[in-house]
Amino acid sequence: MKMMSFLRAGAAALAITAMAGLPAAQADTTAVPLIESGSSLLYPLFNIWVAAYGATHPGADITTTSTGSGAGIAQAIKGLVNIGASDAYMSDAMMKKNPGMLNIPLAISSQAVNYNLPGVTGLKLSGPILAGIYSGKITKWNDPAIAQANPGVSLPDHVIIPIHRLDGSGDTFIFTQYLSESDPQWGSTIKYGTAVSWPAVSGALGAKGNSGMLAAAKANPYSIAYIGISFASQAAEAGLGQAALLNKAGNYLLPTPETIGAAAQSVADHTPPDERISMIFADGPQSYPIVNYEYAIVNSHQPAAAIAAAVRDFLTWAITEGNSPQYLNKVHFLPLPSAVVELSKAQIAKIQ
Amino acid sequence: MTLRPFRLAVLGLSLLIPAALCAVVLFLILYSGPAMIFNGLHFLTQVNWNLGDLYDDPVVVRGIQVPAGANYGILVFVVGTLASSAIAILIAVPLAMGAAIFLAEIIPPRIRPVLSMLVELIAVVPSVVFGLWGIAVLIPFIGSHLSPDGNGYGLLAASIVLALMITPIIASTLLDALMQVPRENRESAFALGATHFEVVGKVMLPMVRPTLIGGIVLALGRALGETMAVLMVSGGGVNILPTSLFSPISTIASFVAGQLDSAEADPTNMSVRALAEIALVLFIITLLVNAAAKLLTSGALHVRKRA
Repeated sequence: MKMMSFLRAGAAALAITAMAGLPAAQADTTAVPLIESGSSLLYPLFNIWVAAYGATHPGADITTTSTGSGAGIAQAIKGLVNIGASDAYMSDAMMKKNPGMLNIPLAISSQAVNYNLPGVTGLKLSGPILAGIYSGKITKWNDPAIAQANPGVSLPDHVIIPIHRLDGSGDTFIFTQYLSESDPQWGSTIKYGTAVSWPAVSGALGAKGNSGMLAAAKANPYSIAYIGISFASQAAEAGLGQAALLNKAGNYLLPTPETIGAAAQSVADHTPPDERISMIFADGPQSYPIVNYEYAIVNSHQPAAAIAAAVRDFLTWAITEGNSPQYLNKVHFLPLPSAVVELSKAQIAKIQ
Repeated sequence: MTLRPFRLAVLGLSLLIPAALCAVVLFLILYSGPAMIFNGLHFLTQVNWNLGDLYDDPVVVRGIQVPAGANYGILVFVVGTLASSAIAILIAVPLAMGAAIFLAEIIPPRIRPVLSMLVELIAVVPSVVFGLWGIAVLIPFIGSHLSPDGNGYGLLAASIVLALMITPIIASTLLDALMQVPRENRESAFALGATHFEVVGKVMLPMVRPTLIGGIVLALGRALGETMAVLMVSGGGVNILPTSLFSPISTIASFVAGQLDSAEADPTNMSVRALAEIALVLFIITLLVNAAAKLLTSGALHVRKRA
């Protein structure tokens, strides 16, 4: 009997709070809390975006967390977060399993290959050379393959320490995609992914996160590492060299706004409506080979109309105003080409 | 036995812990079932770990959907876990025994509480702090002074960081036990003309041996399961067995933490199931270690009784 009255009191209390909550939610549709989670590479940009968006959109309530691209995708599918951030687009198999998911590019990122070689600067490297280093076929810096690509550079007779990402990473995805596209043997055996089965190379290191890659490359002379472009300034401060990479047209290029932009432009024209396309090893004489779209992974079917509207508003702002240099320059990202902005807008309109 | 409300409540609460344990084990077994069928015993004996091509269409092997080219072998991680924990124990036990004996016997009683509290404080330092210390101090030191090829990341770095984390656990359990050795036993030994060294070594330590082993087991449990600090300093060796103290390694716990994100992008879900199977292996290793320690302590007691 006591239990029953207790339950009844609880139910009444619930009803009162629900009634108090409802009118408030209906009065202000922008006050829908959104949660973003995923890519650690996109996380700094999201932080900048959310602060700027909140300043011009009072009532906006967006929480951002850095968990990793795979977690971002998985949580967006499960509906735990509204926006999943990812450096890699979803695979065909994942799309078949979850046809309602959208892959919406928000900005353009790229990646540098850094080396710690005392006394050597201006190193040139190609996909096949990197594939050789990471699969243990090229073990010394003065290997004929490296010497041939770098005439006139005196290369040390020292063992190479290749460093790869230990955690699942969009950086691993785009790096191994470059190796797969440019080196047929890598493409047929190891392939690409956010984590691959790294060949057994004696002394090869694994590091956690871009900051871990940077620390490991700094601590180990004669090492080589692939590091997201948003860490370019720290890598330069640490005394790491940036390698010029061989692109599809046969030119060695450094990652600069011009070469990254050229790659983005060459892919923009044939980006499909669902926008799942690799920008790696793009056509064009001035296209830097490791460039990628940074994606928002969103379920086209949101639980409530108000939530869908809030997601649409924020994403539309991100690919228009949010793509201005004052935000992107801080993380060395580039804005989306105008053709891609239109495709992204069409996809955003599907969020209901 | 009548079931009064108090008894019932306490019984329910006490059953919660074993129930939770059973639920975890049951979940791991059920969840990793398909992975066990797919992997068989090769799981434990193979060196190669490959999530397979998550971007290609899955294939069907033995009636189970898996990513093309997937192969799960965890020998590298089992070896890495056991080696790093064993070396950590080898480093930590003498350190901890020295510290505990010093605190119990040598130090003036007035400052003993302060120093023993300091030892216990180290036990609560978050592991990520140890990892950062490892990256900032230990790895450059090993790289420039010990390692032949200038690389500081690896088995030795992981073992030293683990040793530092578990030394206070062993030291504080041992200290408590030493302080509880009856005054009579200690003083009789002195009265018989034993030196201080003999009193500690032949009278006090044999009396606290079970507690010492218990402390080591507790410490081993922490070392086997430590994730973050190891992930930061171990060098993350995959697909290759360690050959020296300076080889990069991965432990079971650190590898699971590192791979989980990519595994979640697997449309067949087999990668996550394989990780659950690894977790089950870690659980069994910890269980075996604890069981062995229980046998050891009881064995030690029997020997003493016979003598």
